[in-house]
Amino acid sequence: MIAHHPSEATLAAYAAGTLPEALALVAATHLSHCATCRKTLSTLEATGGALLEDLPPVPLSIDALDRLLGRMDQPAPPPPPILNPELPAPLNRVALGRWWPVGPGVRYRPMQSSGAAWGGLVLAQPGRSLPRHGHAGRELTCVLSCAFADQDGTFAAGDLSEPGDNHDQPPAVIGVQPCLCVIASEGMRLRGLLGFAQRIIGR
Amino acid sequence: MTQTTQSAGGPDYAALIQSIAQRRDREAFAALFGHFAPRVKAWMLRGGVNPTAAEELAQETMLSVWRKADLFDPARAGASTWIFTIARNLRIDAMRRERHPSDLMPDPSEEPDPPAQADRVIAMSQQEIRIRSALSLLPPEQAEVIHKAFFEDKVHAEIEKELGIPLGTVKSRLRLAMTRLRAALGDLA
Ligand SMILES: [Zn+2]
Repeated sequence: MIAHHPSEATLAAYAAGTLPEALALVAATHLSHCATCRKTLSTLEATGGALLEDLPPVPLSIDALDRLLGRMDQPAPPPPPILNPELPAPLNRVALGRWWPVGPGVRYRPMQSSGAAWGGLVLAQPGRSLPRHGHAGRELTCVLSCAFADQDGTFAAGDLSEPGDNHDQPPAVIGVQPCLCVIASEGMRLRGLLGFAQRIIGR
Repeated sequence: MTQTTQSAGGPDYAALIQSIAQRRDREAFAALFGHFAPRVKAWMLRGGVNPTAAEELAQETMLSVWRKADLFDPARAGASTWIFTIARNLRIDAMRRERHPSDLMPDPSEEPDPPAQADRVIAMSQQEIRIRSALSLLPPEQAEVIHKAFFEDKVHAEIEKELGIPLGTVKSRLRLAMTRLRAALGDLA
């Protein structure tokens, strides 16, 4: 049962296609688990459709349709390959770097993404804390397996954490299994060792 | 129910897409192109895409409509909504180039597929009509954040700066707007 969801603002940016790629990947991971947010997304996408319908049209060049009709029998490009079959669908085609130790019991694996956010997988052992950034920009975390807890409650598989500005308590892994999450942030710097690793690895 | 799937007076675009899927109907395609390509181009231009690329992306969007027509499910989305999502994904792709990030969008084929019922198909075309009317009735400050989110390639920090209101206010206006849109959909959502 999913208990923690992204804000409407985040889903609106996702629906509009303006959420930076790394953040969109985390949101997509949550959406693949969450029927409630898929419903909100479909309302937002219908909003996009309604806005499109009401836009004053801008004509294309006069031969645009004819040129297109000449190309219509070309085959569609193949989909990109699945690189990580062990990960859920929104993450399985993403290029991932190697695992980096970023503190006792915490490892980080950056994912390739473009745009104004960066992200990756974090694997933290029971009792350890997940890294959390400073107070600049949006940050999203989606749990892939096991659980962590912070001042907002307990986050299990599929739950998404979108902390506000007043978050200081780092999330701690609960239970006896390590917790795997996908995280993304617009913040420039992570705190502590993960921040250090991020500066060494680059984005 | 005696409602048809037609939007107010216009052609039934969902039926045109299905006609492409079933018969590779080039006339249906030309009609869709005439209606949607100039709107997709307008949307691209509003998002800051240059005119040459906007024209190209409008054509690519329509090419995808042709190729993917058999994936269109009128019980899942109205025609404008479906074409909007294609245009959006192509714009994301164009901005990222090296990969195909439209794959970020959850693949509908992986979700449990409810059976397509006739009343559901009607519901989806009604959904677009109701959303259009609800959008026109939104208070200006809520309409503004929705428009900025969909038409301008802006992150929230920029919207915040431009409107001179805190991020929390942007978020709460969006939440209020969504509440109204959901209420307008009622049982259709
Ligand atoms: Zn959710």
